[in-house]
Amino acid sequence: MTTTSTVVNARLDAPVVPSRWTKFRFFVLRLPILQLSVLLALILWLVISIPAFVNRLSIVSVLILAALLALAALGQTFVVLIGGLDLAIPGYIIVGAFISSNLAGGAGWPIPLALLMTVVICGLVGAFVGFVSHRYNVQPLVLTLGINAALVGGTLFVAKANFTSAPPDALRALTAINGTTFGLPIPPILLIVLAAVVLVWLFLTRTASGRRLYATGTNARAAELTRVHTGKVWTLTFATSGITAGIAGMFIASFSAGWSANIGEPYFFTGLAAVLLGGTTFGSIHGSYTRTVLGALILTLLSTIVLSVGMSESESRIIYGFVVIAAAFLYGRERHVRNRF
Amino acid sequence: MNRIFAFLQQRPYAFALLLCIVLLALNIIVSPSFANPTRWPAILGTFAPFALVGFASTPSVLSGGMDISVGPLTTFISVIFIAVLMPAGLGSWYFSVPILLILATIVGMINGILVAVVRLHPVVATVGMLFILIGLSQTIAPNPVQAADRWSAGLARTLGFIPGALLTIGAAALIWFLLRRTAFVSNLLATGDSDQSAFGSGVNVTAVRILAYGLGGLFAGIGGIALAALLQSSESALATTYALLGLAAVVLGGTSLLGGRGSMLGTLFGAFAIYLIQQLLTAGGVQSNLIQFAYGIVLVVGVLVSATLLSARQRGKVQ
Repeated sequence: MTTTSTVVNARLDAPVVPSRWTKFRFFVLRLPILQLSVLLALILWLVISIPAFVNRLSIVSVLILAALLALAALGQTFVVLIGGLDLAIPGYIIVGAFISSNLAGGAGWPIPLALLMTVVICGLVGAFVGFVSHRYNVQPLVLTLGINAALVGGTLFVAKANFTSAPPDALRALTAINGTTFGLPIPPILLIVLAAVVLVWLFLTRTASGRRLYATGTNARAAELTRVHTGKVWTLTFATSGITAGIAGMFIASFSAGWSANIGEPYFFTGLAAVLLGGTTFGSIHGSYTRTVLGALILTLLSTIVLSVGMSESESRIIYGFVVIAAAFLYGRERHVRNRF
Repeated sequence: MNRIFAFLQQRPYAFALLLCIVLLALNIIVSPSFANPTRWPAILGTFAPFALVGFASTPSVLSGGMDISVGPLTTFISVIFIAVLMPAGLGSWYFSVPILLILATIVGMINGILVAVVRLHPVVATVGMLFILIGLSQTIAPNPVQAADRWSAGLARTLGFIPGALLTIGAAALIWFLLRRTAFVSNLLATGDSDQSAFGSGVNVTAVRILAYGLGGLFAGIGGIALAALLQSSESALATTYALLGLAAVVLGGTSLLGGRGSMLGTLFGAFAIYLIQQLLTAGGVQSNLIQFAYGIVLVVGVLVSATLLSARQRGKVQ
């Protein structure tokens, strides 16, 4: 007995010196070192295997693809941070794509009105999801599954399966590969996503609301006891997810100059993969949007490499699967039952 | 009124059953031929993959996890059956059925190992598996391949005088019925309810979880055979369609996604309700996009109703 207590006392009194390995692990967990090194390795591989890749157009097109993916995964990052999952992303994307193509492009609506409509529709639907799943303790997974079917079906019905229109030229200029911003040879979409990254970083790390978001995700009950309105956090988070996915849908339709019935599906699954690959896990304190952007860049580069090697799109899916599992293996392991008492 | 609610609360599947009865009546009113016994084998044949994907999602959900990859696994198995085994001359039932079922169970168990041993979040692990399975299906059969050997067609219509779908659904139901006689199902429910308590009372939580996902894989394998029997060609594009249908059936059937509460019977009714909604709207001449819309709304309303009116837990909280 005495020996045990002295050991405990010794631990309490003496400053705890973490071992080098523990320090290293915390370092890796806090900063996305691994993702950065994988990204660098992929860039090196691409540059060495295809030297012709290093020209403005191909670099910009890869960056645009990654930016669209990152934008579609912005809301999902927040939702995953509070421990949920938003399956309605394809629905929001299709709403945005429909509004930008058929209403702004086909029916000639002014772009600000189209943007406002996307924000209002997707925001309200998202807020409904967040509010209801928190208030009635429903798993957002099922709710968003239903919402997604309703959004996709409803939009296609309203559109009467008319896929002939494309977004107006002003929108398409924002995502054009040879687009310019204030004379700089950078497409505006890249700067928009960059601004989003900075804003989200500031929001998550430098504001009280950002801290509340993390607190809700890590332990909702503890957050509630520290007077965080978790219901408000859930409502706003899902609304944000809807809005950003809707806007991403507008840009995706602009980039591909039109839309189709399953325009959102790949962005949902790959977006989720980008979130997980970045190292954000459900209700985790280590997640952030910067990581998602890194994940999106890695996945885009990976698919570029896979396609350039001559493998097909479906084979790259297999690689995505292994990559997601491997990333989760390094980051997202849970505690064993016996250590959770 | 309160007694009705109490009755429904005690039986999580009762809501789905009620929904089924109402929808069945509506179906018969809209298209009277629905009640014609000669059509039943074909109806059951189109329903079988639905029900089996739902069955496949159930054990993992009951264990407190989730398997998103069962839908793609069903498609994958049907693709393997038609595009790999049949051209290789292994298409006869005594070769193909054991191979397919063992393969499906192994895939399910890999999911179980990822969740229980490697301790990944169930959604993350099975999303990874979903990517792998969709990719494999599309790589093996980028374009639909017609079935060379058509013995399985009977499973979607009639074998002798019994509807073939009764065999596929019945096999899965029988397996579950037999397992309920063992300690496995109660251990499964205990694990899902609270894995800590189950672990503390000596349940081998890891083994139970692996077996639960393996069982889901097995049911998905039977579903794959039923799907192949129905389509008689390999449609790898269906993978994402079926991906989340099973979960919807599970939840409509009154099974809690938090684990430990629910039943296979509920899933059967849930799947049948979803199937009947689609049939009803198709028979009513509604456009397919509106069907999807209605399906989504019914899912949302169903989830909300079972979470508010029919949830004993919620009422307990209010009092």
